[in-house]
Amino acid sequence: MRTIEYLTDPVLRGYYWPGVGVGLAIAVMASPLSVLVVLRRLAFIGQGISHAAFGGVGLALVLGAVGVGVLASEPGRTGLIVAFCVAAALTISWLGERGRAARPDTAIGIVLVAAMAMGFILHRAAVQASQARGLPQPPGLEDVLFGAVLGVGAGDAATAWGAALLVLALLVTMRRDLVFWAFEPAAAEAFGVASARVRNVVMVLLSVTIVVGMQLAGVVLATALLVLPGAIALRLSARLWPVLAWSLASGLVGVAGGLVLSFELDQQPGPMIVLTLVGLFAIASIGGRWMGRRESVAA
Amino acid sequence: MNKADPGPEAPALRSRGLSYTYPGEGGRPNVALDGVTLDVRTGERLGILGPNGGGKSTLLKLTLGLLKPTSGTVEVCGLSPERARRRGLVGYVPQRAEAGFDFPLSVRQVVEQGVSRGRSGWRRLDRSARTKIDAALELAGMSALGERPIGSLSGGQRQRVMIARAVAGEPRVLLLDEPTVGVDVEGQQRFGALLERLSARGLTVVVVTHDLRTVAAGCDRVACLRQTLHAHVDPQGLTPEVLAEVFAHDVEPAFGRVHVEAHRAEDCPGPHVHAHASDHGPACAPDDDAGGGSRAHD
Repeated sequence: MRTIEYLTDPVLRGYYWPGVGVGLAIAVMASPLSVLVVLRRLAFIGQGISHAAFGGVGLALVLGAVGVGVLASEPGRTGLIVAFCVAAALTISWLGERGRAARPDTAIGIVLVAAMAMGFILHRAAVQASQARGLPQPPGLEDVLFGAVLGVGAGDAATAWGAALLVLALLVTMRRDLVFWAFEPAAAEAFGVASARVRNVVMVLLSVTIVVGMQLAGVVLATALLVLPGAIALRLSARLWPVLAWSLASGLVGVAGGLVLSFELDQQPGPMIVLTLVGLFAIASIGGRWMGRRESVAA
Repeated sequence: MNKADPGPEAPALRSRGLSYTYPGEGGRPNVALDGVTLDVRTGERLGILGPNGGGKSTLLKLTLGLLKPTSGTVEVCGLSPERARRRGLVGYVPQRAEAGFDFPLSVRQVVEQGVSRGRSGWRRLDRSARTKIDAALELAGMSALGERPIGSLSGGQRQRVMIARAVAGEPRVLLLDEPTVGVDVEGQQRFGALLERLSARGLTVVVVTHDLRTVAAGCDRVACLRQTLHAHVDPQGLTPEVLAEVFAHDVEPAFGRVHVEAHRAEDCPGPHVHAHASDHGPACAPDDDAGGGSRAHD
């Protein structure tokens, strides 16, 4: 078992544990949010936001490379990428409003490709600028696109857990309004829920989760964590608290299982985690049908 | 049964010259409501009957304060709609198509939405809120089904859950938007009985619908709306002439005391189709639809 060796060896464990810590933090924040994403049908907008993050990464790298001091540091870069994602999310909402330029799915498609194209160009520009100024090279494209969780340090793990607790605290505080809004947006507004504000908060939560989740799965796969745990959980129960518990359990099992598989098979963690979650989804689909039959017999 | 005009006390709902125009596409403004003047007395059950696109939903949105009138005024219990809504005086039952019935929520959790706005998620609902939820479930006859998933209910049962949610906050005025779409005959009767129980408790009920059955089952007065009010009668007063005017001639309902026997050819300026009353009430067809005759049968 390489996993045990990696996590217990006095030399190796300092390298592997932070990645595990980041992974579990992401599972904790993304899982309950994913229930909302699935129910409110935000999967595609999540995809748009995570790809927009690539544009944000490019921008942060370029500005860092040309000497904007704040962006040479990790928190500065993260802040800028989150801001970029929120801006993209609001642009998507704005463009997709009735009577404007595009339908919502078209708006997502446009913002997604625009940010991706911009990300590639800016990433290359950052590489060139770093070379010219003799700075260390920015992370490679593959790391940005598919994640590089094993390169993170203890500070990243602490940041990820801080973000996770913040997201969870906001979800709990606003849970009544969030659920009402997701269930029936128009009625929620008539009952006095500020649906525009709720929507914006959800966009910020998605952005934060995606930016933290990028370390684990990259911009291409980050939405997996925002869709699959909720999709799995909703196969297994039709009740709110069990659904949230199942989503958390499947998120944690998916991340932990994916990491173990990646250690054992010497594969990239991001894709392994995604495939593990997809496998869990397949199992839940079959198991859920069986449980559903049993429940209907009981009722 | 036409009752006398309301007394001097503030009516539950009062509108004066209420108009709303949507800024239509291509610079062609779309008049949804034009000069609607209406008084609804406390405890009354008013049905607002009209075709699709007749401005019914706009009237509700104005009454809820979700839209601002282009001109004219609307008041709820003597207050502006926003203030009335903020004070919890208005309960609302939206069109059922909009809710996500695949949600993992129990009946009770849906009714809870009616009293939980803005409450922190860190604490359980307090005792008074829980009592209100129990009372609303009881009133709607849904106490026994409180723990059932909302998705497992029939259309009529869901409708009663939505009504329970709307009355859980103990409003003074209850607004219902097309409440009986997809509800079977038995469900409609139970719905009518529920409205009667609610109004017996002093709640004012306003139902907007294109379904004559809903009006006949649950209302004691009817206003006919197509952009503006065309008639203001008790359900028995829905004569063929009134209905023909409101539904732009495309109506042939045949049930209960409301029975359209014929409408006159000379009253029909344009071509139209004959619509048969179905489960979804009298159908309405736009004027440019195919069809030539102008005699209603049976």
